[in-house]
Amino acid sequence: MAWRGTRRLAVPFLVVGGIIAVALAAPVLPLGDPVTIDVSARLTPPSAAHWLGQDEYGRDVLTRIVWGARASLAVSFLAAAIAGVFGIILGLLGGYFRGVVEILTVRSAEAVLCFPPLLLALLVLTLLGPGAGTLIVALSILYAPTYARVAYAETLAARNLDYVVAQEALGARSGRILARTVLPNVAPPLLVQFSLTVASAMVLESGLSFLGLGVVPPEPSWGLMIRGARSTMDQAPWLLLWPCLALTGTIVALNLLCDALRDVLDPRGRNVTANPFRALTGNLLSRTSPPQVSKPELLRVDGLTLEIAAEGGAIRPVRDVSLSVAPGETLAVVGESGSGKTLTGLAVMGLLPPVVEIVSGEVHYTDRTGHTYDLMRLDDAAMRGLRGDEIAMVFQDPSSSLNPVHRVGDQVAEAIRAHRNVSAAEAWRQAVGLLDQVGLPDAARRARAFPHELSGGQQQRAVIAAAIANGPRLLIADEPTTALDVTIQAQILALMAGLKHQSGGMGMIFVTHNLAVVSEIADRVAVMYIGEVVEEGPVDQVFATPRHPYTIALIESVPEGDDDRLSAIPGTVPPLHDLPPGCRFAPRCGFAEAACTTADPPLERIDGKRSTRCRRWRELA
Amino acid sequence: MTTVPLLVEAKGLTKTFRARQSLFGRRRDILAVRDVDLSVGGQEAVGVVGESGCGKSTLGRLLLHLLAPTAGTVRFDGQDLAALGSDQRRRLRRRMQLIFQDPFGSLDPRRTVGNQIADGMLIHGLATDAQAREAVGDLLEQVGLEPTHATRLPHEFSGGQRQRIAVARALATQPDFIVADEPVSALDVSIQAQVVNLLADLRQRLGLSLLFISHDLHVVRHLCDRVAVMYLGRVVETGPAAALFEAPAHPYTQALLAATPSLARRRDTGRPPLSGDLPSPSDPPSGCSFRTRCPHANSDCAAAVPPLEPWASDGHRVACWRAAEIA
Repeated sequence: MAWRGTRRLAVPFLVVGGIIAVALAAPVLPLGDPVTIDVSARLTPPSAAHWLGQDEYGRDVLTRIVWGARASLAVSFLAAAIAGVFGIILGLLGGYFRGVVEILTVRSAEAVLCFPPLLLALLVLTLLGPGAGTLIVALSILYAPTYARVAYAETLAARNLDYVVAQEALGARSGRILARTVLPNVAPPLLVQFSLTVASAMVLESGLSFLGLGVVPPEPSWGLMIRGARSTMDQAPWLLLWPCLALTGTIVALNLLCDALRDVLDPRGRNVTANPFRALTGNLLSRTSPPQVSKPELLRVDGLTLEIAAEGGAIRPVRDVSLSVAPGETLAVVGESGSGKTLTGLAVMGLLPPVVEIVSGEVHYTDRTGHTYDLMRLDDAAMRGLRGDEIAMVFQDPSSSLNPVHRVGDQVAEAIRAHRNVSAAEAWRQAVGLLDQVGLPDAARRARAFPHELSGGQQQRAVIAAAIANGPRLLIADEPTTALDVTIQAQILALMAGLKHQSGGMGMIFVTHNLAVVSEIADRVAVMYIGEVVEEGPVDQVFATPRHPYTIALIESVPEGDDDRLSAIPGTVPPLHDLPPGCRFAPRCGFAEAACTTADPPLERIDGKRSTRCRRWRELA
Repeated sequence: MTTVPLLVEAKGLTKTFRARQSLFGRRRDILAVRDVDLSVGGQEAVGVVGESGCGKSTLGRLLLHLLAPTAGTVRFDGQDLAALGSDQRRRLRRRMQLIFQDPFGSLDPRRTVGNQIADGMLIHGLATDAQAREAVGDLLEQVGLEPTHATRLPHEFSGGQRQRIAVARALATQPDFIVADEPVSALDVSIQAQVVNLLADLRQRLGLSLLFISHDLHVVRHLCDRVAVMYLGRVVETGPAAALFEAPAHPYTQALLAATPSLARRRDTGRPPLSGDLPSPSDPPSGCSFRTRCPHANSDCAAAVPPLEPWASDGHRVACWRAAEIA
């Protein structure tokens, strides 16, 4: 990461460093004197002796640009830095201590913001007299409150973060917490603020010098040069160009530097990069006509493999996954985080994020009319027609699945009208009926509520109402009860079990990490580990006589027994870019033998209904 | 249980947050914790269970005086935390620590885990820089990680490993009392078991007192000696873990146990799930807070708040007017 960061920093750093170095080195550079007047050569265009030409008094423009950079950069950098130091201190104190301190620091600093900036600068300059020093003071006063506000807002957000509270719990003094923990974490937006302030100070310096209140002539500054060039714009327009270019170039370079600095200071680098070309080729899978399926299945996933292009090579978060759901059946897909269970659900919905590419696999779906087709090869419009109509989805977090600015009744009605041609009034009537059906108390009135006016359980009921609005034949529920409390979870599970019976034939894929929930809701279960289905079969049989060591270990790690120690699976889930050879579970498996670490175990059929991806399953019985 | 010398003792603990509903709305008081008595003995593990919004996390922070109580006192080893000067209290923090739920939020993303674990030792002057560095290695080994991990940043670790780091940070000051606020809720089951085992081991080995806040009844039953069940800011039932889970006396505890999904038994159709939602903590029902969802509630329940009274076995107490009739 270090070298990557350095390389990102290099270019803007060299440019800004170069500009500063040239400005600092002005006295030793082979340049003329910036104030020597040569009236005979006034407004001479660029020549070999004077690369950028001569100005209205015949002074060398290049010399004045370089010397002017000293004034412009010194004023803007110093002003931005001084304002930053004071503003950040005020903001940190105000945001961390709140109360009286907040009024004394941030709020009083904000009073400054009430004045128009130029007016305020003029006021200070008039009081103290023009000159570079005064200009720095004026600009510092002007910019400090902006820093204070940014620092204050960031501190407010950071002060209740767990790791800040943790410092407090450790007994650290407030000063230490502010300097070591809060400041580094609020720094990124402040860095951006710094680059903006330098740029803005440079412009204001130019403006004030232009008005004759900043740097005093004949001392050069970019603002003064623009001012001088303005009067001779007709005769020598290039004179205006040079200082403007210098100003713009410096500001752009500075912005780039601060952006790069902010990214490099963030220790969490980005690992996954999207590759648009790969996504494109993914869509060019052969569009062969799908084989007809004779079995009365609703959904059959065959050999689904997904790939994400990552920095260290492609990773496969889902590999050779095959599942099936019959009408009226609930299939639980259970696994830990990173097992690929959510991506599998999203793939069926055609809602994979763009970085995920489908390498191979078929998803056969049989629709209401009895036609079977491969969802992977369906075009977007056809898929959109299925989504929300034939196939619906319920997500984990109900508060983020509902739009906070629309009434819940409208959101359910919208789901109806997206697929059926009914009037708004009729859709609303049906929405209220659905909300009533999912057990929202006082549905007619609650339909008018906004999501935030409902509890988490009620929100999830509303989400489910929208999902079943068009009588879907397949419902994919991704951890629908994980964000809910147990008593509410019990309500939602009962509701979902009830829906299945009422709607006759609705199949369900229930994605969860909770084995106990699986045993309550599902008919069949597929256990996933690092992107593979390791065991699949009827819930009762799989839980009573598991035939894969991972399933056994998962069941044993549920803290229900009376044993003194929980049985934990040793080690951690290996990362996708560094998978062990052979069976993916072998390094953590108590049953692993040499053969397990050499070849991938195939998914073996146990009897008609079950399968396992363990070569030693017979010995597990 | 009463013979264990008390390390932490809270009496009549109450915390009210002030909140405004909208810009011009009237201010509302949110009664997060109401009149809670709770004690934790030396080397005892006390579980606090309840659903979100019941005030269990607030209670944990009150016991550490990370929040100042609106009313009531917390004594730590005999000293009233509110009466101490801020400097004395800061020094006392060495002996009490907090472990958070979210292993991704509780570590500073910009500092190495070694520095973060060493913080406590340096803050309290327990070690020099060199000693602290050595101690960090030991602590990492104690929680099942490698000493070489000290130089890494938090994002290089998995959730379970981060929670181990958080445990190591809490142990660094050699505390007597740790509040663990849902420490395993964000972890996968197999990892959850690792961390629960780690906490149980450390408790045994180091003689720690533990306040274990969780909504997972199975984990609490496994780890804790004593349990307090909270509902809407109040403790409605408390007692030895085994007795309370075997024979819950409060209708809420019964409902909570019935609603907890279990591998061992598939839900029998007999008991319908508890209906309705948690009432708003800014406008709790009169009398017993649970009466709006309680299948046994009658008019008496609305009249007055039931006191927490002794129940069947030693140390088992329940706050329900009709406990005797229901049993």
